[in-house]
Amino acid sequence: MGVDDKRILLKVDKVSKYFGSVTALQDASFTVYENEIVGLVGDNGAGKSTLIKILSGNFPSDSGNIYFNGKSIKFSDPLDARKVGIETVYQDLSICDNLDASSNLFIGREIYKKVLGLGVLNIAEMKKRTQKILSDVGIKIPSVDEKVQYLSGGQRQAISLGRFLAWGKRLILLDEPTAALGVRETRKVLDLIKRTKEERKEASIILISHNLQQVFEIVDRIIVLRHGEVIGIRKKVKTNTDEIVSLITGAIFVNQSKGNK
Amino acid sequence: MYLATEDKYKSIIRAFLSNIVWIIFLILLFAFSVGVEGFFSIDNYINIIYHSVFIGILAIAETYVLISGNLDLSIESVAACSAIMSVWLCSTSQYASGLLLQTWIGFIVVVAIGASVGLFNAFFVVKLKINAFLVTLSSYIFVRAIAIWVTGGYGMSGLPETFRIIDKTKFLDIPLMVFLMIILYIFFEFVLKRSRFGRHIYILGGNESAARNFGININKLLYKVFVLSGVVAALAGWLMAARANGAVASMGRNYLFEALTAVVIGGVSLTGGEGSLVGVFAGALILSSIHSALNITAMSPFITNAIQGFLIIIAVSLDSLKKMFK
Repeated sequence: MGVDDKRILLKVDKVSKYFGSVTALQDASFTVYENEIVGLVGDNGAGKSTLIKILSGNFPSDSGNIYFNGKSIKFSDPLDARKVGIETVYQDLSICDNLDASSNLFIGREIYKKVLGLGVLNIAEMKKRTQKILSDVGIKIPSVDEKVQYLSGGQRQAISLGRFLAWGKRLILLDEPTAALGVRETRKVLDLIKRTKEERKEASIILISHNLQQVFEIVDRIIVLRHGEVIGIRKKVKTNTDEIVSLITGAIFVNQSKGNK
Repeated sequence: MYLATEDKYKSIIRAFLSNIVWIIFLILLFAFSVGVEGFFSIDNYINIIYHSVFIGILAIAETYVLISGNLDLSIESVAACSAIMSVWLCSTSQYASGLLLQTWIGFIVVVAIGASVGLFNAFFVVKLKINAFLVTLSSYIFVRAIAIWVTGGYGMSGLPETFRIIDKTKFLDIPLMVFLMIILYIFFEFVLKRSRFGRHIYILGGNESAARNFGININKLLYKVFVLSGVVAALAGWLMAARANGAVASMGRNYLFEALTAVVIGGVSLTGGEGSLVGVFAGALILSSIHSALNITAMSPFITNAIQGFLIIIAVSLDSLKKMFK
């Protein structure tokens, strides 16, 4: 797996974020290449979610630069991130139980038709596309008309993943996508992630997970965060679980680890 | 898509329970029509809708706020303030302002008052993050009080014909207000179900963090919802003045709880995200039907309250039953 000859998709350069006196992220720097899966690991409070939320436009960084597809970017809200093709699957799934599957799939990117000059939700079109999106990716739910609250945990997760499969054209951010799932459903999600990489040559994935076995199975490289700092970046083939665990817990101190080797 | 038989069976039960309020309404209507002499007539049916107009319109305002996951206790006082102020500005009563404003100017003033109360509510909910219950409890208390203080609290009457025409006009022997209410329901239901604004209200009420993650401007949305509630409540108040041909300080007392009852019976959840105006309309009609039946039989008005109280618990129980059919 030679990543060196690939195009850079995302470059995070000395990005910091503070919440009052708490340093959530300190001079974080790393690169994500086109068509690779990067695992983002670290203990609770290491800054993983903060980083994801900066990349998905939930809040801005306090300092540093982010380059996406060669351009410097600064998102003011999640819509900006989604416009350039960054799609996030949040830990809490961001599912609205009170809406049906197709409304959930299309949250924030609803389709409208013009009626007397006013935008009116085109429900039929969204349902039609939902059927297609879900069957394309092999996700089965009982009915797209049912409110999501009547679906099982796995089916709800499927809808959340359906969003990234449908819209995540360039960069997909997955925040603990298997945290709430059973063994079989987890398997499906991992296969889906691998398949996405194979089928979309221009797309990259950043995966946050606490499950190192999972991380080692599907990622190309691993970025380790500790206390808001990037403490190590490793190619999967050149490291092992022991080293990553030591980096996470701080058993190994690495002074110069910013870079891509 | 393939559906297991059991799923299908559950879907049907859920669909039935979702429309339970209309079924209750039809059963009540049938029972009253058979059991209460003088209830069954087209005139009385029209009368039932006619007398549900104020509660019905206030219920529209409350429905929007509740679906967004908030609460607006101020609607009753906004309506009362709107009624009192419009009469004070426009009527020939000796206790009025003497300004004798034209009807449409009075209308614009009270709509502006409703919008201002909405802005006030939204400001404290959005900026200071105060619970909507407390903010609107405050405006519930002071809005009516200010109107009474400004006008001196006298009963006033003597509205110009241009003002009263909204109540007096009839089409095919059906009062204009009946059509008006139906049009408002159709319009606001459409906005709720088919517009971006309405969809965002459902998303916010269903999952606030999802709304934030997907870039919905929650603060702006809340301003819109509370202002809409204030404006719609003011409209209800203006209509109350037109029908009463005047206003008194105690106007519309208890309308808040009547409207809340209609909304809750209609299937709107207090925790946000659930409900539609189709159900709320039936809720308003149920209340009005009960009033009508008790009026005709000359029963104690306290029985109305007892029945309404029980209706709430029945409606809410049926709603939670729905969640059991998962």
